[in-house]
Amino acid sequence: MTVVAKSSLIGKRIPKMDAPEKAAGKTRYVQDINLPGQLIGKILRTDRVHARIVSIDTAAAKALPGVYAVLTAADIPKRGLGVNKDNPPLKGDKVRTIRDEIAAVAAETEEIALEALKLIKVVYEDLPILADPRQSTQPGAPVIQDAKPDNIAMTFDYAHGDVAQGEKESDVVVESEFYLHYVTHCCMGVSGIIADFEPTSGNLTLYSNTQVPFLHKREFSEVLGMDPGRIRIIQPPIGGGFGSKLDIYPFEPIAVYLAKAARRPVKLVFTREEEFLASPTRQPALCRLRSGAKKDGTLTFRAVDILLDNGGYTSWGATIPFVMMQTFSSLYRVPHCLFHTKAVYSNNPYAGSFRGYGNLQATFTVEQHMDMLAEKLGLDPLAIRMKNAQESGEVTGQGMVFTSCGFKECLTTAASRSDFARKFTDYAQQQSKPGNKKRGIGLAAMIHVGGGAKIYPSDGCGTILKMDDFGHVTIMTGASEIGQGSETVLAQLVCEELGLPLDAVSVVNNDTEVTPWDVGVHASRTTFIAGNSAIGAARKAKDKILNAAAKVTNMTADQLEMRGGFVVRAADGEMVMPLPKLLRSLHFSDKAELVMTTHYYEPSSVHQDKKFMGNVSATYAWAAQICEIEVDTDTGIVTLEKVTAAHDVGRVLNRMGLEGQIEGGIVMGQGYALTEDLMVRQGKVLNPGFRDYKLVTAPEIPEMDISFIESMDGEGPQGAKGVGEAPAICMAAAIANAIHNATGVRLTRLPFSPENVYRALVTAKGGVVE
Amino acid sequence: MVERYLAPTTLDEALKALAAGDATIVAGGTDVMPQSQAGRFKLGRTLVNIRRVAGLQGGAKEGDEIRLGALTTISQLREDAFIAKTLPVLAEAADHFASVQIRNMGTLGGNIGNASPAGDTLVPLLVLDAVVELRSAKGMRRLRLDEFFTGPGKTKRTPDELITNIFVPAPKPGFVARFAKFGTRPALDISAVSVGIAGIVKDGKISNVRVAYGAVAPTPVRGRAAEAALEGKTLDAATLAAAAKAAQGEVKPISDRRATAWYRREMIHNLVKKVLADVAHG
Repeated sequence: MTVVAKSSLIGKRIPKMDAPEKAAGKTRYVQDINLPGQLIGKILRTDRVHARIVSIDTAAAKALPGVYAVLTAADIPKRGLGVNKDNPPLKGDKVRTIRDEIAAVAAETEEIALEALKLIKVVYEDLPILADPRQSTQPGAPVIQDAKPDNIAMTFDYAHGDVAQGEKESDVVVESEFYLHYVTHCCMGVSGIIADFEPTSGNLTLYSNTQVPFLHKREFSEVLGMDPGRIRIIQPPIGGGFGSKLDIYPFEPIAVYLAKAARRPVKLVFTREEEFLASPTRQPALCRLRSGAKKDGTLTFRAVDILLDNGGYTSWGATIPFVMMQTFSSLYRVPHCLFHTKAVYSNNPYAGSFRGYGNLQATFTVEQHMDMLAEKLGLDPLAIRMKNAQESGEVTGQGMVFTSCGFKECLTTAASRSDFARKFTDYAQQQSKPGNKKRGIGLAAMIHVGGGAKIYPSDGCGTILKMDDFGHVTIMTGASEIGQGSETVLAQLVCEELGLPLDAVSVVNNDTEVTPWDVGVHASRTTFIAGNSAIGAARKAKDKILNAAAKVTNMTADQLEMRGGFVVRAADGEMVMPLPKLLRSLHFSDKAELVMTTHYYEPSSVHQDKKFMGNVSATYAWAAQICEIEVDTDTGIVTLEKVTAAHDVGRVLNRMGLEGQIEGGIVMGQGYALTEDLMVRQGKVLNPGFRDYKLVTAPEIPEMDISFIESMDGEGPQGAKGVGEAPAICMAAAIANAIHNATGVRLTRLPFSPENVYRALVTAKGGVVE
Repeated sequence: MVERYLAPTTLDEALKALAAGDATIVAGGTDVMPQSQAGRFKLGRTLVNIRRVAGLQGGAKEGDEIRLGALTTISQLREDAFIAKTLPVLAEAADHFASVQIRNMGTLGGNIGNASPAGDTLVPLLVLDAVVELRSAKGMRRLRLDEFFTGPGKTKRTPDELITNIFVPAPKPGFVARFAKFGTRPALDISAVSVGIAGIVKDGKISNVRVAYGAVAPTPVRGRAAEAALEGKTLDAATLAAAAKAAQGEVKPISDRRATAWYRREMIHNLVKKVLADVAHG
């Protein structure tokens, strides 16, 4: 008797499948791909913030030897990109932001292309600059987009209950104005694309870094006026996305138009400076929040008014209020909630989608208010949160349904592991003691979609699963890998179903001609949605295999199981036959069958109605993060010492991958709070480079204590939830609360750079600042 | 546009190449390369790589002076046992200097020649009373470092001259020197301000005081008012406060993307106080 032992990869620490190539520097990114006959594309960007284009003279550039195409707005169809279709790839009438594209060149070499750009002469007539979004809706403000004369790009309104009633029921009310600044993604891999037309058929292949290949294909077809069936998108390994690659950007159709005009493949890759100037930012936001509570800490109402600086154009990221409102309405039980946001046009760089999608901004305000209410009521920060925290079974005012909810466990776990209660009291008592080093501890919590987000009519993902004659599985999934580790998790889930080792699986996820539809990598949805889709396909394959095995044994399919590459007897693991043998017997027989299955998974969530009511996600992720900091009151430098994080992840699938996501997100949130600042003054970007745009570097990364709360979500793949965005969300709020604990000073404006903190400390002491 | 690349192995060859005119000197290349590629600096027709020139490395005591070769790398400043023992303030500055990669390539002479108001070795060298040795085909001259810089990126070096050595007086008994750089990162951070203080401490009193500041003027500068407030004084709380006030009053920084002028003056005040407190407590 040969018994095959049961084994599982779920919850194990598994290095990402693409890690060896990346660690060895051997991964071939778009930068490394060169097609025969390829030209280099370069874009001429304006140096004006707001100006009418009087004329563009490209004659000298066109005459330069080695130049194959020079394009301006006059040469391409007048169609705009983005959610408001307000962003033409090349600007013809006027420029609205410093990054605007006004001409493009395709040339034999980069040097020639750059030389050609210098030869293009542009005459402008400067227009008044609208740099302050608060001025955008004032009478007489310059109009940025003629189609929107009121300068309002988008508004979002949501309400449940009656905030006036809530205010009447309140024993305490706090009101504050918060400001959140510009930051950008800083992907290690800069943006790039190669556009390649088949010479005779005219079919277009794009080598693109997009996170959303299928939506991209559709938008490309609209902007190019092309049949989408003739567009193929291949994604080389992507050097970081974080939401920056959710939109189509001007450089992408520009590369296509250049390739068309030059009749050669065109590669267009950003410089690092261009990446800073011309890729999107997180939305700067001015938030006015009013919150109330009863004596016992029960929340009564919340009224929110947010002004978002849209910049000159409208990205899909302008829809972030959709996520923000979930935090205001549903992180805690709030009986009355009124939410209003406006995204207004300005001459600033335009903001886009960024990991967390508005939730960093929302959580920054809500979680500071929880501490402020607690302080007024003489409650501690943990108690007021526990009093109002959501639980399993809750349906919120917005119609969100919490099936599995580990929120309270996240709060208590993080608090006990960090010794929060004792330290919070100790540090507060030490505020007035002498010394220039003040320690503080701060808590913040969050909710985020964890089971996809049905913001399109479908939130689905397709999988094709194919087994070869040797027991090897190929998973073809619509879900892209952008460094988040989806390949590995999908492979693990399929291995779990089919009883195979990880090396028996490969994943194909980067070619729209091969892979089935998926809405894209966003909303922390890939593990949940693509995972369930992959499991569905694997289960169909398993059924097929076990039914075939049943026929050649004297057992039924449910008496059989797959383990370790064998079909075994379920009862005792006794080996029945090797899987490859069974596959070949199916393939090379009169049955002539291949084991190849497809599955399309659509989550149970709903597309919200016009009032934003409805259960937008199949499940929700929860977290509590506690930051311990030290403030140097002589310099304003805030050092992040330790982060204690507890995340409701549903279930741990790949422990190493999960730790990586949480750690990376914590560091991203740390940068947002403390060091990163894209300085935009009068529409100009002052620090387009890593010298003065300060990312957190290795020595500043704090000690981390990360706990996973396994709430075993009923609909999640093996019980898991999506957590890709969650870890970055709490950090700025937790650090703000910690600074208050350390110094007694409440900081409501990001970033907490040394100078900003120092100024606040001096002002709080009654000192004079200049 | 560079037409010619030379990599001399002797000082004479290097000086001859410079004498021919329109040459750019490159050692570590950590300033020349990024600045020229960003278009902030135009390369001459001849690129003279002095990296292989013999005899310009490391430190040694020569009479009453310590000689530091211009090709000494920042990493060497940080790791060299002789420098750590005799001039620890330079090792301290090197420890906060840029990144490991840049420290491995960048040289002391290059940091001086680049003449950045925020150059990390310049403030400690100023308080060490450093003298720059310049050689050309025509001869040799020595200039005091506090008279060497004329503006951001500008010095009294003529195009045919090469910075060959830096000399500082050998420290006398009781000599202390400290450097403090303001920054949010342990390294890889261009300082918004920096402070150096040196002197001879005897019986609680400080004399022969040198104070210098970085990033508060077009060049690294000596802090004469702070020096006067300290000279011959006991390092008590009143002296510390007076020196910090003097320092804050004498610097005239600008506001830029790294900091406002007000904040720089505040930081000068607080850093001077902090560094002096370190000196006072040994």
